[in-house]
This record gives sequence, structure tokens and C-alpha cells, in this order.
Amino acid sequence: MGDHSSSQASYIHLVHHLIEECIIFKMGKEECMDALFKHANIKPVITSTVWKELEKENKEFFEAYERRREEMPTEKETAQRIRDLLARTKI
Amino acid sequence: MSALSPARNSTRDDGESEFLATSCGFTINTEEDFPEFTDHGDLLDIIDFDDLFSVAGDVLPDLEMDPEVLAGELSDHMNTSSTITTTSTGSQGETNKKGISGKGEEVISKRDLNETLVAETVVNYDRKRKHSSSGSTKNNRISSNEGKRKVKKVDWTPELHRRFVEAVEQLGLEKAVPSRILELMGVHCLTRHNVASHLQKYRSHRKHLLAREAEAANWTRKRHIYGLDSTGANANGRNKNGWLAPAPTIGFPTPPPAAVASPPVNHHHFRPLHVWGHPTVDPSVMPHVWPKHLPPPSTAMATPPFWLSDTSYWPRIHNGTTTYLPTVATRFRAPPVAGIPQALPPHHMVHNYKPDHGFGGPRSPVDLHPSKESVDAAIGDVLTRPWLPLPLGLKPPTVDGVITELHRHGVSQVPPAASCA
Repeated sequence: MGDHSSSQASYIHLVHHLIEECIIFKMGKEECMDALFKHANIKPVITSTVWKELEKENKEFFEAYERRREEMPTEKETAQRIRDLLARTKI
Repeated sequence: MSALSPARNSTRDDGESEFLATSCGFTINTEEDFPEFTDHGDLLDIIDFDDLFSVAGDVLPDLEMDPEVLAGELSDHMNTSSTITTTSTGSQGETNKKGISGKGEEVISKRDLNETLVAETVVNYDRKRKHSSSGSTKNNRISSNEGKRKVKKVDWTPELHRRFVEAVEQLGLEKAVPSRILELMGVHCLTRHNVASHLQKYRSHRKHLLAREAEAANWTRKRHIYGLDSTGANANGRNKNGWLAPAPTIGFPTPPPAAVASPPVNHHHFRPLHVWGHPTVDPSVMPHVWPKHLPPPSTAMATPPFWLSDTSYWPRIHNGTTTYLPTVATRFRAPPVAGIPQALPPHHMVHNYKPDHGFGGPRSPVDLHPSKESVDAAIGDVLTRPWLPLPLGLKPPTVDGVITELHRHGVSQVPPAASCA
């Protein structure tokens, strides 16, 4: 039974770790659920639950994260222009 | 020196051209004087592949045409020219009619050139002619079913393409000969000719993507470093090395929100080579591009724009819907093209580049279009090496909280014993 709880804890830790990786990719919660299901066979409900709990524990981070995600389209455009510029200047 | 520096400072934004202009008395206009130095990518965008491959669709330029087939088909057309009014040859005559109109100017001119050759060897090629015309018969029948097309065109469906790619892989890209590919595909409605032209496009596309990717990989890496550098420097006064090499067992204790939320530069994560014509791709996600073609594949383009590649990667096509990359793409990247030492796909790059401390991967925090490969790789890394420290070091959720919440949603067993369905 002790083993049961520690396996639960380690599983949750695993999902937590995976979610952090997804965040590095700037994924949202749904994308993350999808990716973890597709690549790691983790039930989306579990992903979403862990995500929500992470949000509770790290409110500020997630608020900032969401704000940054909203800015993404304009940043995309900027990045596009940077890329074009670099492409042109490359010999 | 002192005379020069003010000038330099003032014109720094515009680069060296103005600097040189002011100090040396002549102007260098990089835009106009050196048009030929544009990126190869642009060149490929400009090149009209329709011209190369002829309007008729899958007709090759002279490069790869099998002389037998060429002569065979020419003798077809020669035959036709004399018998075009007599439809007594039945389906074959009909086929040839379609064939000749489909081939268009290109073949007719070839015919003129090769008339004598064919006349001499017509005995030998008669047999081949029958084969090729039977091939083209079927083809034309199919084409005519699709709406009276006069072109002997092959519709490269995803399924067809998939088989093509499988065959190519089996043979190995360098060894992939159209005739063998055809054998392996076992498709009757294709001529060796169609396959050959498709192969040519495929190879050229791959090369282009690999070159692009090499460029992108370098660029991404550099951006990554610069991005971290200024983040580290600004946020904590730590230098780049400080950022990259904290005690390996600790996550990053410094404010991760700052690191993630305010990266100084956002740039595209350049996607790896994308699967070309992968059948499982959702057709509503249309990133694809073949240098000149516009998405989606349902357009009337002569050749299938089933080459999938990241729209963000491709400067011309930009619809930003792409987040999906089938993982099968790794198969195409397996044989790296020789001579491009840096053309390792990001999938491999992930493994080569990954530092051993806990950074968690080579992806920059500023990826805007995560590729499936990278995601898959990152996830795989976590699954295989769960002891790695957390890349962001977020405060973990309480186990009880999670379990309780899961129970509410009806999930009783964590981790799930059975595989998820």
C-alpha cells in the first residue's frame, strides 16, 4: 500500500515533468493533453488535472505564460520578418 | 580611427553599406547590386517547376528519360500521326490520340529529331511500344474517367505516394530506380515514366529541405544561445554560462516565469523534414508546400502538393495552422544526404545537442511551432529518463490534491493499469 502511494506520486511527477516540457514548447493545456496522450499514452483527464493543480501552485507563472501565449501571433510575425531578413542576407 | 568611429556609430543600424558610403565615397547597395546572392530558397521559389516538368504534368525533361520508353512512345506517336484518322485500331488508337495531345509540344519536337532513330530500330522497340502503350492505355482510361483530361497524368494520391515512399526507402534513396520502385509498388496504372518524374521531384525536394534545415538548425542554435544569454544577463546578472550550468541536480531556481515568459527573441523552431504525402495527415491542416505550389492539395496543380512542410518554415506559405507533423517523417530523414554534414534532422539534433545537465533539451523556450518530432523526442526523453530534473522547476502539485481531483473525474487508478484507449 505504501508502494501504491509512491507509485502514484511518481506518476504524477512524471506527468508534471512532461507538462513542463510541453510548456517549453509553448503549448496550451489542450495541446498538452493531446501531445501527452499521443506520445506517452497518458489519459487526457490526468494531464488536465495535473495541469490544473500545477496552475494552482504556480499561479503567477501560468498567468504570465498565458499572457505570453496571447502575444504569440505578433511575435510570429516578427520572427517571420527576422527569418526573411536572415534568409536574404545569407550568402 | 577617431575620424571613422563617429560615422560608424551613426550608421550602425543600416549596416556597413552606408558606413562605407560615407567614409569611402561610394555606395554599396546590397539590394540592387547583388541580386544573385539571394537565398537559394528564394531561387527555388522563383523557379517555375511547371516549366521544368512541362505543362503536361509528369513528363520529364530529357534527363532521365529512358531511351527505350522515349523511343517507344515516339513510335507510338509516329504511328498515330499516320493513323490518327483511322480509328480502326480501336482503343489503342484512341490511347495514342490522347497520348499525343497530352505530350504536347515537347514530344513532338523530340519526335522530329528522333524520327530516323526510331525508324531504324522500330523492330526492336515494337515490343516495348506495346508495353508502354498498354501502360498508357490504362493510365489514360483512368485520366479520362476523371473528366476527359487529355494529359496522361498521374494523380499522386497520399496512398500512392505512401507506397512510393515505402518503395524508395526499401531500395534506399540512392539506389531507388524508377523501374524497381514501380515493381515494389505493384501499381499498374503507373508508368516508369511517372515514377521517374515523381522521384526526381522527391529527391530535389528532400535536398532542398535538408539544406534549409541545416541553415535553420544553425540559426536556431545560435538564437537559442543568444536568447539565453540576454535572459540570464538581464534577469540575474548571471552570464550565459551561469544560466547553462547551475548545479546539475537542481532545477532552475531562478525565476522561471521570467525565463519563459520574457524570452528576448522569438523565432520559429524550424521544423524538420516533413513527411511528404503522409496519408494520415488531416487534410484540413494545410501547411504544405512544394516550392512553388500553394496549398491545399485539392488545387488543380499538376503535381501533388503533398509535400508537407512547415508553413512557418517556408517563407512563402504562411497560414500558421501547422502544428501537426506525423512522426513518420523520421523515416525520410534516416539517410542523411552525404556532403551536408550539418543536415542532421532535429530529431537527431535533439540527442546530439542535448547538454547533460538538466536543461531538458535543445529546444529553445521560444518555439512557436513545435514540431511533432521535437515534442516526441522531448517526451521520449522524459519517459526514458525520469530522473532528469524538471526543466522549469515549477512547484509540484500536491499528490493528494491530484488524486482527489482524479477521483472526482472517475479515474480511480493512477497510474492506469491498462493502456489508455
